[in-house]
Amino acid sequence: MNRPRPFTLLLATAGLLLALLILLPIIALLLASSPADLLQLVLRSEVQQALWITLLSSLLALPPILLLGLPAAYGLSRVNGRRRRMLETLLELPMVMPPIVAGLALLLAFGRRGLLGSLLADIGLRIPFTLLAVVIAILFVVTPYFVRRCTLLFDAVDSRLEDAALLLGASPFQTFIRVALPLVRRGLAAEAVMALAQGIGLFGTIILFAGNLPGRTQTLALAIYTAFESDPQQAFGLGALLLLISFLLLTTVKWLAPGESLQ
Amino acid sequence: MSGLECRVQYPLAQYELAVDLSVRPGVTVLLGPNGAGKSSLLRLLAGLAKPRAGRIRLGERLLFDAHKKIDLPPEQRRIGMVFQDLALFPHLDVRRNIAFGLSVRRLPKEAVKTRVDEMLDKLGIAQLAQRSVTTLSGGERQKVALARTLITDPQLLLLDEPTAALDPSARGAIRRWLHQILGQLQIPTLLVTHDAEEVAWFRKRVAVIEKGQIVQRGSYHQLLREPQSDFVARFAGINMISGEVFEDRFEKVFISSGGTKLQGQFGSVLPGPACLAVAPWEVLLFAEPPGGSAQNVIPGRVIERIVLGDRVRVTLLGAEKLVAEISHRAWKQMGEFDKGTELHAVFKTGEARITNN
Repeated sequence: MNRPRPFTLLLATAGLLLALLILLPIIALLLASSPADLLQLVLRSEVQQALWITLLSSLLALPPILLLGLPAAYGLSRVNGRRRRMLETLLELPMVMPPIVAGLALLLAFGRRGLLGSLLADIGLRIPFTLLAVVIAILFVVTPYFVRRCTLLFDAVDSRLEDAALLLGASPFQTFIRVALPLVRRGLAAEAVMALAQGIGLFGTIILFAGNLPGRTQTLALAIYTAFESDPQQAFGLGALLLLISFLLLTTVKWLAPGESLQ
Repeated sequence: MSGLECRVQYPLAQYELAVDLSVRPGVTVLLGPNGAGKSSLLRLLAGLAKPRAGRIRLGERLLFDAHKKIDLPPEQRRIGMVFQDLALFPHLDVRRNIAFGLSVRRLPKEAVKTRVDEMLDKLGIAQLAQRSVTTLSGGERQKVALARTLITDPQLLLLDEPTAALDPSARGAIRRWLHQILGQLQIPTLLVTHDAEEVAWFRKRVAVIEKGQIVQRGSYHQLLREPQSDFVARFAGINMISGEVFEDRFEKVFISSGGTKLQGQFGSVLPGPACLAVAPWEVLLFAEPPGGSAQNVIPGRVIERIVLGDRVRVTLLGAEKLVAEISHRAWKQMGEFDKGTELHAVFKTGEARITNN
């Protein structure tokens, strides 16, 4: 057997330490509550409410994310050079924006005294502190990530397949629906699940823009925040619950993603 | 059915593509070295790239006109193109690949099925219908790609290096198949290639493109007889025998560097260093030296023999090195000789052109 070389050992050590850094808090969180505790927690109505709002808001955000994000990503993948860099920077803006600042910005845009406030008031629409606000917050934060990653998916589609479709008489829209989309379908499914997972964990933007109203805008993440001030043990339990949901979604992503080789 | 008329200009990295070309029903081969602008021209015709100036007309329809600002998108041009890498849809099986062009036209399912079945039968690939295109061999993929294109009933067919992606063992069979299928069609077809062997199958109409320009066109044999560029001469394998022209009082004589005295068309050649050119298919091969005058006879030994489509190309080495191209039938009648056979190369003096280099 070959003796491992020093540099290999160095790499392995760094990897091991990182694994510990990741796994230790996760294990600690999972150990903090017994399965029985979690079961009891899930049976409580305010937890079920928060769980419901969490899943509902993320699911409601998904269709607009797809509807806005897919054409944008497909369009972006066909742009090159300076225009593409400019558009990408625009996309990255919400990504580097601290979530809490995003919440403030959304308030100033859609709030009662915001830019669109009077317009929205005229049609009788009050967005802040509603489920709609939660959905908009998710849309604002998650869509840019979704578009970025989907652009990479579309970049990988062989443009000759699209040329071939056009020459066979397909319109550009048919080419998109019948060739580009099916070719990236697995990656796309993975990205959709990823968007769900991202929405489920969102905190700062929601608490500012949608508030922390149990039964209306309080998601699991917000419920953890509330619980932590009064009953840390419950917060740990909720945390474990959220972690399990995220882990489930991540597993789904991994299960969807690997066969991405055009099969 | 009428053909394609195109006159296009398009800037490329090294030079400008400036092509004036007409394609009549039947196969026209566009021959040129790599980087001559062949694929760019196909993309311009297909509408995948936009010419800087010019006009493309297909039959009665104007596909592109820079002045009139007409530029039909690819899906409205009714041009079928078989890409070099075939571009089969990997997410669809063979049947659905072939049906694609019909189903985007929203034809009823039954009609699509009937026509796909007909096409599968016509091209002899019915057994592949349910296969995934990712499991097909190169030749099978080629057939599926052609079926997928032909079913849309194109008014112009573009084939981009149709056999380049195949491994050499499959090439011959696919060429023969392609020759047979294309021979039955009355569609103007532009077949792009850099491979002389391909041209050997489609000899009638050949256009040569170099550095973005059509430098020569005519039949394969016309090209070979009077190659107007290095590329054609090289690909044609025109025999060039160097030597010297001497003149006495009555006549001119050509003596090769190898010392052979040869006769040819001297034209206005001056005494001194010169070159005798004779096309390979003007060189006949005989086992015994034939009688008769007005012809040159050079004995030699066969050092190479290549079957090119229905022609056989033979290289003979004696005092001179000569390439002869004879029909497959003639080769058979001569007992399918191989390397090492001693033969006599014969060509008429009228077919040998002598020029100063």
